[in-house]
This record gives sequence, C-alpha cells and structure tokens, in this order.
Amino acid sequence: MSESTEKLSNGSLGEQLAGESALRTRSLWKDAVGRLLRNRLSIIGLIITLFLLISALFGPYIAPYSYTEQDLLNVAKMPSPDHWLGTDEIGRDLFSRVLWGARTATLVAIFTTFISVIIGVIIGAIAGYGGALADNITGRIIDIVMSVPGLLLAALIAVSIKEPVVTWAENIYDASGFPLFADTTWLDLLVVFGGLAFVSWPGYARLIRGQIFSLREEQYIEAAKSVGVSELKIALRHLLPNAIGPVIVTLTFSFSSAMVLESSLSYLGIGVQPPQASWGNMIASNIGSWSYRPWLVAVPALTLAIVTLGINFLGDGLNDALNPRSKRSI
Amino acid sequence: MFFYTIKRLAIAVPTFIAVLLITFTLTVISPFDPVAMMMTQFEGTLDTLAKEEVIERIRDQYGLNDSYWVQFTRWLGRLMQGDLGISINGQRNVLRMIVKTFPISFQLGLAGAVVTTILGIPLGCIAALRQNTWLDYTIVGGTLGFRTVPVFVLAPLLLVLFVLVLDIMRVPRGWDGLFQSKVILPVFILALGPLPVVVRQTRAAVLEVFSMDYVRTAKMKGLHMWRIILRHILRNALIPVVTTLGFIAEGLIVGSIFLDSIFAIPGFGGVAEAGFRGFDYPVIMGVTMVSAVMIILTNLIVDLIYPFLDPRIKIE
Repeated sequence: MSESTEKLSNGSLGEQLAGESALRTRSLWKDAVGRLLRNRLSIIGLIITLFLLISALFGPYIAPYSYTEQDLLNVAKMPSPDHWLGTDEIGRDLFSRVLWGARTATLVAIFTTFISVIIGVIIGAIAGYGGALADNITGRIIDIVMSVPGLLLAALIAVSIKEPVVTWAENIYDASGFPLFADTTWLDLLVVFGGLAFVSWPGYARLIRGQIFSLREEQYIEAAKSVGVSELKIALRHLLPNAIGPVIVTLTFSFSSAMVLESSLSYLGIGVQPPQASWGNMIASNIGSWSYRPWLVAVPALTLAIVTLGINFLGDGLNDALNPRSKRSI
Repeated sequence: MFFYTIKRLAIAVPTFIAVLLITFTLTVISPFDPVAMMMTQFEGTLDTLAKEEVIERIRDQYGLNDSYWVQFTRWLGRLMQGDLGISINGQRNVLRMIVKTFPISFQLGLAGAVVTTILGIPLGCIAALRQNTWLDYTIVGGTLGFRTVPVFVLAPLLLVLFVLVLDIMRVPRGWDGLFQSKVILPVFILALGPLPVVVRQTRAAVLEVFSMDYVRTAKMKGLHMWRIILRHILRNALIPVVTTLGFIAEGLIVGSIFLDSIFAIPGFGGVAEAGFRGFDYPVIMGVTMVSAVMIILTNLIVDLIYPFLDPRIKIE
C-alpha cells in the first residue's frame, strides 16, 4: 500500500497507471485463490500435489527402508504389516521405493520446467520483440523441434549426451576431487533434464510470443505507450502481470508432463537407472510379471497415474481461477 | 493452388532436412562407440592380439573415422537410396526391420485414429451442448485424465483389471491381423491418447458454430435439434478438427512404442523400444526419421486439404 501511494504521489500519469495496476493485481490474486478453492476437483489436485511435494522432501525420512535394502527372506511378497505395499522381485520394500521415486520425479519435473521456462521465455521474447525476421527464424526452429515426437527426441538426446556428460563429470572429479562428482547417480538426472528441457521449451516460447502479440493490441498498453511509458516498463509492469496467469497454468501442466516423460525415459531404460528408484523403471522391471505379481506393476503405475491426474486437476482449476473470462474454453 | 502446394513443400522439406541434421549430429556428438559395443558381443571369441586391428577395420568399414560432413553427406546419400544402415544388435537391415513392422503399426494406428474420431466427436458435441454442466466437466476432465496417464501405466492397469480382477478376457498377445478380438484393448489404449485433443477441438468448434446466425435461423424455422446438429453444426464444426490430425499421429506413434512390447505386437514401436534399450543408433535414427516423416507428412496433408474444407482460407 505504501509503495503504491508513493507511486501515486510521484506525478506522471504513466506511473499512476502502473501503481493502479499493482493494486488491482493483488485483488486479482485474492479472487483467483477464492475461485480455486471453490472448485472441488482442484482441491483434490492441490492435496495430491502437496502430498507429492511432502513425499519428495521428506520421503527418505518417512520411508521405513532404504531404496536398495533387500529383505531376502521376503522376496516378491504381497503387502504385509512389515512391508506395507509388499516387496519387489529382489526383496526391496515397495513403499519405500515409491517414496524415493517421488523425489526423483519431482526433482526432474522442477528442474526441467525451470530450464525450459527460461529458454522458452527468452526465445518467446526474441520472437515477440525482435521483429519479423527473428519471429520467422524462431518459428521455424520451433516447428523443427515439434515435428519429432517429444519422447523420441528426448530419448535420442538423452542417449547421445549420456557418455559426454559422464566423461565430463569424471574429468572434473579427477581435476578437483570435488566429492559431488564422484557420485554418478545425479548424472542420470542431468541427462534426463537436458533431453526433457530441449523438447519442452517450444511450448513456452509459443505461449510467450502469443501473449506478447495479443496483449500488445490491448488498449491499456496503447494508453501506457501514448503517455510515454518506456517499452521495458510496459513489458515489466503491464505485459508480465497479464501474461503470468497463462504461464502458471502451463507450468502446472508441463510439470506433470515432465514427470510422465521422465518415467517414460526411465521405462525405456534411458533415464534413471536402477537401483535408483523411478516409477518408470519400477514399472519396466516388473511389467513382464504383471499377471502373477500384479501389485509390483500396479503400485508404481497407480502412483504415477494419481499424481499426474492430481496435478492436471490443479492445472485445470488454476486455468479457471486465473483466466475467469475464458472459462473452460481451449 | 499450385503455388500454395509448392510453398507448403518448401517449408516441409527444409524442416525434414533440419530434423535429419539434428538426428545425425546427436549421434556423432556422443563419443559412444558402436564398434566397441559390437565387440562386447563377441567377447572371448576374438583373438586378443588381432582385436585392435579388427576394431580399426570395422571402424573404416563403417566410415567412422571420416570427418563430420563427409559422414553426413555419405549418410544422406545412402538415405536417398533407401539405405538406413545395419542394426548394431543382430546385424539386420534397419529399413527392412521398419518396412516389415510398419504395416502392422499403421493398421493399429489407423484403427486407433478411427476410434478416437468416433468417440471424440460425439463426446465433444455432447460436452458443448451441455456446456458448463457436470456432464461437460466429466467428459473434458475425464478424457484429459486419460491423456496424462502414459500408455505403459494404463496398459498394465487395464490388463490387471480386465484379466485378473474382472476376468472377462484372456491375455491379449501377438498379432493375427486387425480383425481379432485381441486388438481391441491395444487399439482402445492407443485411441485414448489423442482423444482429449479431438474432444476439446470439437467442443470449441461446436460452441462457436452454435452462436452463428444460420443456426439461429434454423432453430427459428423449427427444425429438429438433431437435424440442426447434423446439417449445420457438425459440418462446420468438423473442419477445425482436421487440424488435430498431426497430434493424433504423434500420439499414435509414441503410444505404439510402449504398447508393442506389452502386447507382444511385432510393430514399429517395438523396433523403436528395442533400439533405445540396446543403444542401437542406426535403429534409433531410422525410427526417429520415419516418425518425423509421418508427422511432417500429416501436417502437410492437413495444410493441403484445409483450403478445400474451408474456402474462406485464402490461398496465396
């Protein structure tokens, strides 16, 4: 409040308009939260997402066993009081592994989303502000990336950069002795981030470009321009707050699709390698025995299904909450 | 029309070449050595003294010692002659592997596309006509839900449900042609992937057409509702649905990668999966290129038939 009063006393009309919009934004957010909490499905989604984040953060402390610990007397057992969700084909506790898998999935999703948003925003801004030629070139690049199925391209990239990344890490370890580089498990994750980020940025780039082009036509932007507000200020004060709604919605959806892609790669044996727990490789290593040990496949599969559904419910709810005008249209 | 076609082709061809370049570069970037990998298969059978020599000879034979552009142009030249190389695991002709399996996947994919359309268009219509009711939410939310759940999750869960819990079918395995009961489940799972795209597109299109003057006129003339839907709404609403064909193609290709091994279908997706699992570069490249060709072709076809469906689109 004090910030905006200061802005108002500052004089120029453009500044005043900017201050007004800051005030309105805050009430819009309050509105959005209200709308989100009124929607039952998005509440369910919110709860599932919170559960996921808690298991990702504290899973290893909650988990009764480690993800590698084998109970050789209880191999491939049905759920029991000792092992809540049973044990897998080499006697590891399934519940613990699902919790560790939550950490893998969340880590990959957060990093991938983060990297691809940054790339997407930069390329989108270049397309939106760089003139017709830049728009054309970025458009072509996006078309090219999108003409290969995302999973295939991500898999191809992951397969190709795996060796270079591992040698690179080994070299750093040899040179510096930094203990972080001795462990190769997170390198699998790094490879997956690379592959996934490369295939997921075009969505953001298109979104940002579209937002820039469509918001430019709005009257308030025109008004801001006519009173002499600078381009940069318009971008930060007017474009950004108005574009952030769709971006948050896309973030949510791509969070779940990054999770699905990670488990797909791990399922194909390219992503996270056993014994590291990923829901994808857990499904893959047990899919052959689905007919006589169904719980080994069903537990990670159901977890992945519930989590992606929950996040998408949340995304749908956010879409309705943040873009109240375009209720449930595409 | 002629210039329009040329223009579309002029966009599609460079796109494909760029895809080729990316594919090739990625496989060159990785210092991963296919020959070394091949040698591990013959471990012990080779004389250790001659091993280095043999490796060097194989590298020469495959042209792996040449420069990047030499390798790329040679590879491109072979590609023009339909030579996709020999697979590392099993020494098989990659083109033949794809040609042999592709028809099966194509039939399955076509069936999947038909099922998607048959399910998606009515569902989209219903959702639009009952806009913002629980039915609308269920259809849109439900189909979206199925899309987000990957095939390798859905397939085992449905198998467990239908075979073990409900016990209404035997384990569907293998391929005996399209008109067998065992293809029902795989086709259904394939169809679920692109379904929400069709549903959403149909729904939006119907909603848009619904507010048109000619629909109001038809209503005022006292035409039956179903007649208005069939004659006036669907005809015009289906046009934008055609644009989803590219998405459908992509969904079917990705779906079959996981589906084939689960249902033991000797299809294109199975070749892709085996390629990835075995780090078999020639196979991976072949599969990626064929998929890219399929998607680029589908988009090209959509672009070319769209002006016929919607004459308002001006051809320059």
